[in-house]
Amino acid sequence: MFWKKKNDEAMKEDQGASPKTIEDLLLQLKKSPDFSHYQHLSDTFQCWISFFSSLVNVESIHRDILPFLYKGNIRSLSDIQEQIPIEKIERTNDLKLIQSKLMEGCLIIQEKESSPKSLIVPTVLREGRQVQQPEIETSIIGPKEAFVESLDTNISLLRKRIPIPQFTVEQSRVGKVSNTRVCLTYIKGIANEENVNTVRQRLQDLEVDHLFDASTLSLNISDNNGSPFPQFIDTERPDRTAAALFEGKIALLIDGSPNSLILPTNVVEYFLASDDYYTSWYFATAYRLLRLFAVAFSVFSSAIYVAILTYHYQLIPIDLLGSLITSRSVVTFSPMAEAIVLELMIELLREAGARLPTKVGQTIGIVGGIVIGTASVQAGFTSNVLLILVAMSALAAFTTPNYRMASAIRLLRFPIIVAAQFLGLLGVALCFAFFVSHLLKLTSLGRPFIEPIYPLRISDLRDSFIRFPFTMQSERPMFLRPNDTLRYNKERVKQKAGKREPDIDE
Amino acid sequence: MRKLLNIAAVPLLFLGGCMQDNIIDDILMVEAEGYDYIGNDQVIGTITTPNYAQGGVSGSGGGGGPATASMMTSASAITYDGRSLVEKLTPEGQKAIRAGKLRVQLFNEALLRHGLKKLIHFRNQDPDVGRDLFLVMVDGNSKDLLQSTYQTAIPVSRYIYDLIFQNQQQNYPRSNLSTVLYNYYGYNTDPFMPIIKKEQDHIVLTGIALLKRDQYVGRLNGQQEAFLLKTLIENFNYGFYDYTFKPNQHVVLENVNSSRHYDVKNGNSAEPNIYATVTLKGYVRQGNPLLATQDYYSEIQTGIQSEIKRALEKMVVGFQKMDVDPIGIGDIARSYTRHFDERSWPERYPRAHFHAKVKVMLVETGISNVR
Repeated sequence: MFWKKKNDEAMKEDQGASPKTIEDLLLQLKKSPDFSHYQHLSDTFQCWISFFSSLVNVESIHRDILPFLYKGNIRSLSDIQEQIPIEKIERTNDLKLIQSKLMEGCLIIQEKESSPKSLIVPTVLREGRQVQQPEIETSIIGPKEAFVESLDTNISLLRKRIPIPQFTVEQSRVGKVSNTRVCLTYIKGIANEENVNTVRQRLQDLEVDHLFDASTLSLNISDNNGSPFPQFIDTERPDRTAAALFEGKIALLIDGSPNSLILPTNVVEYFLASDDYYTSWYFATAYRLLRLFAVAFSVFSSAIYVAILTYHYQLIPIDLLGSLITSRSVVTFSPMAEAIVLELMIELLREAGARLPTKVGQTIGIVGGIVIGTASVQAGFTSNVLLILVAMSALAAFTTPNYRMASAIRLLRFPIIVAAQFLGLLGVALCFAFFVSHLLKLTSLGRPFIEPIYPLRISDLRDSFIRFPFTMQSERPMFLRPNDTLRYNKERVKQKAGKREPDIDE
Repeated sequence: MRKLLNIAAVPLLFLGGCMQDNIIDDILMVEAEGYDYIGNDQVIGTITTPNYAQGGVSGSGGGGGPATASMMTSASAITYDGRSLVEKLTPEGQKAIRAGKLRVQLFNEALLRHGLKKLIHFRNQDPDVGRDLFLVMVDGNSKDLLQSTYQTAIPVSRYIYDLIFQNQQQNYPRSNLSTVLYNYYGYNTDPFMPIIKKEQDHIVLTGIALLKRDQYVGRLNGQQEAFLLKTLIENFNYGFYDYTFKPNQHVVLENVNSSRHYDVKNGNSAEPNIYATVTLKGYVRQGNPLLATQDYYSEIQTGIQSEIKRALEKMVVGFQKMDVDPIGIGDIARSYTRHFDERSWPERYPRAHFHAKVKVMLVETGISNVR
C-alpha cells in the first residue's frame, strides 16, 4: 500500500537523523550552551566529562564526583567506578544508552573523546516543584500531599504508602520524540494480570510523538475516544492512587505530569471524593447521594424547564403558574432560547474564570454572578426562575469531584435542552436513553463502565451510592477481577470482635 | 446501518421544530368552564382564564417593556351541548386557548336535568385535562357566577376550587372528575357533585346534587347531610357534626374520625338486607355549659348515635325512593354476595332494607367541668 510505504520511508529517515557515532552526538550537543563537555586532566588520569548543566544539580557534581577524579589512585574508568561513592554506575559501549542517559541528566565519562567506551554516572537532578497541597482535589480531612511533575518523587510518594516488595513499577518510554518515561505500577498478587497486560500492550502500541500529561495519555489509550465521558480517572492525590492500587487497580505515572492515571474505573467512582473515606459512613453516604442528586439536577433542570414551559403547561402546579408566567411575560425569547443564553453565559463565566489570572478571576465571579445575572433578568433576557435554576445547576455540576467528568456533565446539558425543545419531556427521555445506552456499551480497559448497576454486582454496590462501613467491605471490587479477592478475612474479624456483653456500668 | 440511522436522525431534528408548542405565557389557560342550558340542545358556555399580575417583574426598573401577562378573563358564547368550548371560543381568544389547566366545570340545574352524557364522554376522552377537576352544580346561572366580582381578588376559578377542596377535606364527600367518571361508568353506582351558589359577593357551598346516571334527580342540603353521606362513602378524618341535644343547645363533634363497615345478607333475595356499621370518634370542642352534668357522656353518646342512625336510614330510604345510588349500595351488595344477580338488582334496590349501626366514641379532651 502506498501509505505504508511512505510510513516505512519516514521511519528510515528517522533513523538517519540520529547520530551514528559518539563523535557525531557530541558534535551535535556541543551546539547547545547548556551542554558541558571538557577534558579532565590530572597527574595520573585523563578523561572526557560531559553532562547537561541544565539538568543536573551542578553543585552536587562539584562536591560528590569531580573531587574524586583528582585522587592519585585513579588510573582507569574501572577505578572510577570503584572509587566514586555513587551507586549504579554503568559501563557501556551502547551509543543509544549513552544518549538517553545523557538526556536524563547522567554524567558521562569517556577515556577518549572518540570512543563510545564510557561510564554513566547518575547524578542528583535539579529539583523541581516541592510536594504541595492538592489544589484540584482538595479535601478537608485526610492527607495533604499532591503529586508533582517529577516522576521519581511521585513514585516515592506511592512507595511510602505501599511498603511491600509486591508493589511493582515497570518503566517504559512513550513518545517517539519525547521519550517520556511512563511507569506502570500495580501490586503483584492483587492486580489482575490480564488488566496489567492490556495496559502494557496499549502503552507499547501507542504511537505519539510526545506526551506531557496523564490526561493526554488517558485520551490516547481509552477504550472509546469518541465518548464524552472519561474512562480513566486522573488524580493528583497519592492517597487516592494508593487506595486504588490496594483495590487491585493499576496506576500510570507519567514523567512531567502531576497526575496519576487510575485504570480501569467504573462510572460511580467519578462521584466519590477522597473525603468519603475519612468520615463516618453516614456522612459519606449523605454527601454521595447529594452529589448524585446534583448530577441529575444539573443535567436535567434547565431541560425540564424548557420542556414543561414549552409543551407541558398542565404539569405546573397552579400556585407556581402565577410566578412563572409573570416572570416569563417580560422575556423576549422562547424558553429554549433563554435557557441557551443563560447556560452560555455561565459557561462563558466559567471559561473566563479558568483562563484569567487568579486575582482577576475573583472579580469575574462577582461581576458575572451578580451584575450580569440581575441585569439580564431586568432587561428581559431571561426569567428569574430560570436564573435560579441555571445558577443552581452550574453549582451542582461543580460538586462532581472529577473535573473531566464535571465538564462532561456540563456539556451534556446542551443536547438535552435541544431535545427538550424538539419533543418536550419525551425528547428529554429519549436523549437520556441515548446517553444511557452509550454508557451501557462503554468499557474501561474492557471492563463494563456502569458496572455495579449493569451488570448488577451487589457486592460492588457496597461502595458506590452508599458507602457501607469498612467492616462490611471485605471484598475487593468484583469488576476488577482481582487476583486476591478478599481485603481481609471476614470470619476472623467476627471472631476477634466476639460477642458484645455490656458491663454493669455501661 | 449506522449511516442510515444518522440520516434518519436529521429530519427528526428538523421536523421536531414543527411541533405545536404551548409556551405558558403565550396561551390562555382556561381554569373554569360554565354551562347553562337554554333548551333545544343548546348551551351558553362561559370560560374564565386567570389574569396574572400586571406590570413587569418586580425590581425590573421598567425594563422588559410592558407586561404581556394581562389578558382577557372571560368569554362566553352559545353552542350546542357536548362540544368543547375551547374551539368554539377561539375567535374570542386573544391568544390560543388551552383547556389543560381546567380546575372546575360548572353546570346549571337545567343542564343537569337535560343530562351530562355528552359532556362526560367528551371529558373522558380528552387527554389534556387532569382528573382532579371538580364538576359542580350551580344554583342559578353559571355564567353569572363566573363573571361576577367577589370579595376575593384571586380568580373565580381558584376561589371555587379552593372552596370545594377545603370542604371536601372535611364534611363533603370527595367528588371530582375521577370519581364522577368512576360512578358514571361503574356498575350500579350513581355520581354526585357539590352544589354552589352565589350569594351577593360570596360563593357558598350549599349541598350535594344527586344524579341518576347523568341526570339530576335530587339534592342533599347542607353540610350535616353531606357529612352523613360521607360517612357511608369513605373513611375520613376531619369532619365535624353538630348535635342538638336540647332545643338551642348544641354539641359539636370535631375532628371526627369515621370508618365504615358493610355487611350484606340475602344479597340475591327480593329484599336484601344491608348492614352498615359506622364508627365515629371525635372531640367535643364546643359544648354548652349544661355539659357539666355528670352523665354527659352516655347522654350525648347515645343521643348522637341514635340521631345519626335515624338520619342515615332516612337518607338511604330517600335515595331508594329516588332510585338513585350515590353510595354504591349495589356495588357493595355485589362484592358481598356470591353469584350476585346483577340483572335484577335495579328492581330489588328500592326494596332493599338498609340498617345502620352507629358507634360514637367521644375523646375526652377539651371537656372540663365549668363551675
